[in-house]
Amino acid sequence: MSEDILLELSNVTTVYGRNKMLLDVSLQVPNGKCACLLGSNGSGKSTLIKAVMGLVKIVEGTIRFDGKDITGQRTYRAVRKGISIVPEGKRIFPKMTVLENLRMGAFTEKKQNEIQNRFEQVFEHFPRLKDRSHQIAGTLSGGEQSMLAIGRGLMSDPKMIIFDEPSLGLAPVLVQQTFEIIHRINESGVTIFLVEQNAHLSLSISDVGYFLQKGKIIAGGTTEELKASDFIQAAYFG
Amino acid sequence: MGTEAVIIQILLNGFMLGVQYALIAVGFTLFFGVLDIINFSHGDVFMLGAFVGLTLINLFTKLGWMGGGIYPLTLFMIFFFCMLITGFLGILFERFAVKPVSESPPLMSLLATLGLAIAIREAVRLFYPMGSESKRFPELLAPIFAGTSKAFEIKGVLLRYDTLLIFGIGVAVIIVVSLYINKTMIGLGIRAVAQDSEAAMMMGVNRDMVVDVTFFIGSALAGLTGILNGLFYNTVIFDMGAMAAVIGFSAAVIGGLGNIYGAIIGGFVFALTQAFSAAFIPRGSEYMDVVAFGVLIIFLVFKPSGILGEKMHERV
Repeated sequence: MSEDILLELSNVTTVYGRNKMLLDVSLQVPNGKCACLLGSNGSGKSTLIKAVMGLVKIVEGTIRFDGKDITGQRTYRAVRKGISIVPEGKRIFPKMTVLENLRMGAFTEKKQNEIQNRFEQVFEHFPRLKDRSHQIAGTLSGGEQSMLAIGRGLMSDPKMIIFDEPSLGLAPVLVQQTFEIIHRINESGVTIFLVEQNAHLSLSISDVGYFLQKGKIIAGGTTEELKASDFIQAAYFG
Repeated sequence: MGTEAVIIQILLNGFMLGVQYALIAVGFTLFFGVLDIINFSHGDVFMLGAFVGLTLINLFTKLGWMGGGIYPLTLFMIFFFCMLITGFLGILFERFAVKPVSESPPLMSLLATLGLAIAIREAVRLFYPMGSESKRFPELLAPIFAGTSKAFEIKGVLLRYDTLLIFGIGVAVIIVVSLYINKTMIGLGIRAVAQDSEAAMMMGVNRDMVVDVTFFIGSALAGLTGILNGLFYNTVIFDMGAMAAVIGFSAAVIGGLGNIYGAIIGGFVFALTQAFSAAFIPRGSEYMDVVAFGVLIIFLVFKPSGILGEKMHERV
C-alpha cells in the first residue's frame, strides 16, 4: 500500500442477517484528496461507512487507515486513529447545548487548551454557532444544525472526515453552501470521503470517485475519467 | 401535637422516604436512558445493599470498630464498601442478564431482569443466616450519642439523629450524581449514549464503558439506599426489594422516564402522596399505597410522559 493512500478497503464483504450487503468492495481514498462514493438509495453506501466505523461485521477483506489495519475494530478506536464523521441526518444531540455538542466531537481529546483552540477554529468557520453556543441544539434551524454537525466533525482534528449524504433534506441554496464548506475543509488539508446520491455536485469537488450498486463497486477512477465514461454519463447525467 | 407539628412530621417522613425513592428512581431512569431497558432486578440490588450494609456492621462490630475514635471512619467505610460492592455487582448483573439478550426484543430483557431479581432474592433467603426472617438494622448514630438522647425535638416533633443521616447523605449523593452527569466527560458520554447511542459511538464514546459506569452508579445508589432504608425502618428483609422496585420505577415514570431530575421529583411526589394520605385519610396508612399508585395511574392516563418528559420516548 502506497503512503499517499489514507483509507483503503480491500475485498470487503459484510453480512446483515442472511443478506450480503457489501460484496468484495475495494476502494482507495488518497491522502489529502477528496474521494466520493456515489450510488442510489439502498446501494450499500451506509453499510460501507458502518464497515469503516466498525459498526457492522466484516466477514471478508481488510480495511486499512493511515497504514494500520482497522478491520472490525471498535468504533472509538477508529475515531482515535483520526476518522471523523458527519452522519446522515446530522445526528446532533438534540438536548445538549451547541457547546456540549461540539465538545462531543472532541470526546477523545483530553488536553483542555487543545479543545479551546478547536472551538475557536470551528467558530471561525461558523460564527453563527458562537452566537448560539449556549442554545439547546434541538432548537436550532435546519441549516444551523448542519453547521453544528460539520463543526462537531471538525472538533477531533481528524485526518479524514466522512460526509454521509450531506445534501439530504437541505434546500438547494444550503446544499451549494455545504459543498463549498466541504471543499474549503479539504483545501485546508483534511482528507474527505464524501458519500452522496448527488453525483454531479459531488464529482465537482472530488478528485476520485466510486460508484456503488447493489453492494458492488461498478466503476471507479479519477473524476475526469468518470465524467468521460459513457456508462456513467448515461446512468447518472443522462 | 398541634397541627403545625403534625404537618412537620408528615413532611419529614415524606422527605425521608422521598430521598430513598428518588435514589432508586435515578437508577431506573439511567438504565432506561442508556440501554432502553427496565431493569427489574434493581429493587433487589437495593435489598442487597441493605444486607451488605448489615454484614459490614456485624463485621465491624466483631472487630470492635463500632465506637470510639475510629467510628467516623467506620461509618464512612460502611457506606463506601456497600456502594463499591453493589456497584460492581450491578456491572456483573448487567453482563449476566442484560447484555446476552441485548439483540432480542425489549420484552426479553424485562423477563431476564425479573428472573435475576427472583434469583437474587431467593439467594439471600436461602444463604444468608436465617435469611427468611426479618433482621434488626442497628442505629448507626447511636454510639456517637451514647448516654444522651437518641432523638431531638423541633417544634414538638421528635427526630432521631439517624433520620438526619438519611436525609444528609441522600441529598448529598443526589447532588454529587447530578453534577457528575452534567459536568464531567463521562457524564457527557452517558447523556450522549442516552440521546443517540450510535452517534455517540461515532464521536468516539466507548459504549461498553458507559454502560458499565451507568450500572455501577445506578446500582451503588440502590445499595446505599438499602442502608438508608434499614436506618429508616430499623429492619430489613429479603423481599424488601420487590415493593422498592415497583415504587422506584413508578417514581421514575411519574417524573418522566429517562430524565434524572424527573426521577428525583417523582420520588418526592410519590413519598409525599403516601405521607399525606397516611395522615389525612381515615385509616390512611392502610390506604396510602392505594392513593400513591392512584396518582401513578392518573399520570399514565393524562400525562404518560411524566412531569419532565417531553414525549414518551425522550431520554436523559
